[in-house]
Amino acid sequence: MLNGDSLTPIYVQVAEWLETEILNGNLRSNERVYSQYQLADMFNINPATAAKGLNILADQGLVYKKRGLGMFVSPRAGERIRRKRINRNLKRLAQELAMEAERLGVSREELLDLIAEAWTQARKEELE
Amino acid sequence: MRAAVECSGLTKAFGSTVAIDNLSFKLPANKITGLIGRNGAGKTTLLKLIAGYLAPTGGSVKVFSENPFNNVRVSANLIFVDDKMTMPQSLNLGEILEAVGGFYENWDHRLARGLLEYFNLNPRQHHHNLSKGMKSTFNMIVGIAARCPLTIFDEPTVGMDAAVRKDFYRALLKDFLQHPRTVFFSSHLLNEISEILDDILLLDQGRCRLYMTKDAVKEFAVGLQGKEEAVAAIAGGSEIFYRKKLGPENLYLVVPNRFSEEELLAARRKGVEVSAVPAEDLCVYLTAKHKGGIDDVFDRN
Repeated sequence: MLNGDSLTPIYVQVAEWLETEILNGNLRSNERVYSQYQLADMFNINPATAAKGLNILADQGLVYKKRGLGMFVSPRAGERIRRKRINRNLKRLAQELAMEAERLGVSREELLDLIAEAWTQARKEELE
Repeated sequence: MRAAVECSGLTKAFGSTVAIDNLSFKLPANKITGLIGRNGAGKTTLLKLIAGYLAPTGGSVKVFSENPFNNVRVSANLIFVDDKMTMPQSLNLGEILEAVGGFYENWDHRLARGLLEYFNLNPRQHHHNLSKGMKSTFNMIVGIAARCPLTIFDEPTVGMDAAVRKDFYRALLKDFLQHPRTVFFSSHLLNEISEILDDILLLDQGRCRLYMTKDAVKEFAVGLQGKEEAVAAIAGGSEIFYRKKLGPENLYLVVPNRFSEEELLAARRKGVEVSAVPAEDLCVYLTAKHKGGIDDVFDRN
């Protein structure tokens, strides 16, 4: 689940995993989020690293703290995560795609065709 | 934060060889710290000084604010696990656990027996008949079940196979989550243990080369790979931890990570690949005496 060799630090990967859980609806608004100790046990990581991941979400207001009870998902966190990911991840992936296409001498049309194909594929898999 | 171990100006010389050289640092309580270093860097000497097995020749070491040398209060709160732990020959493993358990206040006998069974160690076996890996496994079980406020592991995984090592790291982490304690852990397998660590202390010729959180170590340096001119241009005048020629035109450099997102993106556009440098590799580069590594020996001819 987590990739130790990635350029992305583990605590960022933990934050992203939690975001995905919220995005998928596995964690709903005002539901309790995993504690740093649960996360440490789940991913076999140091609890301080897990806490750092949780804090990223807290700093963005995606989760809120109830003293003595833990962290809870903020209302509308899912929608905010979706916006953020479009702005950041999707744009970055698009940049990398464009760069790789240029290196390989792939034309704009060819690249768009590839994307359209991948899009159809993804839709199909979702329907199945 | 309360320090479990505090060294100041700590020095240990064996004759004219200085093993630990004017070392000062504080080990925070209830964290897992990795002690990393090349062969002969002084790791075992440092751990033995902390455990009170050796007396310093200069400076001081304090464990829970006390001098550990010849100190029974410190020994009661500390366990030192390595591959040379001597166990009584007349007792079998089960009896050793009974006996050792009596020494340590927080000893968890159920955990010790559970681990013994899990790792397929027969309690009726004798310690001196165990294989190297099984000895290490047994010693590790003692180290975890003792739940000492200061738990020191000196190369605990010697001889263990990959599966046992993985289980050991997980067992240590799980027990640490339930019962936090200060763990100081020397190992050559930094990549394997790095996820469970809080901090890393890198020792080089008896001195502290690096002491920071594991996350900071992972972000300390980046690898740049691509056409020589492009790579050199991006690296600029910055310090170079490692350089390796890849074919006639390509270059791989490891440099301090002082680049912004934009700079890294610009580098990628110029065909320079930017990669993370695993903590283990970085520690090797930082303590290398030759910037080009083993290749230097061959390139000289």
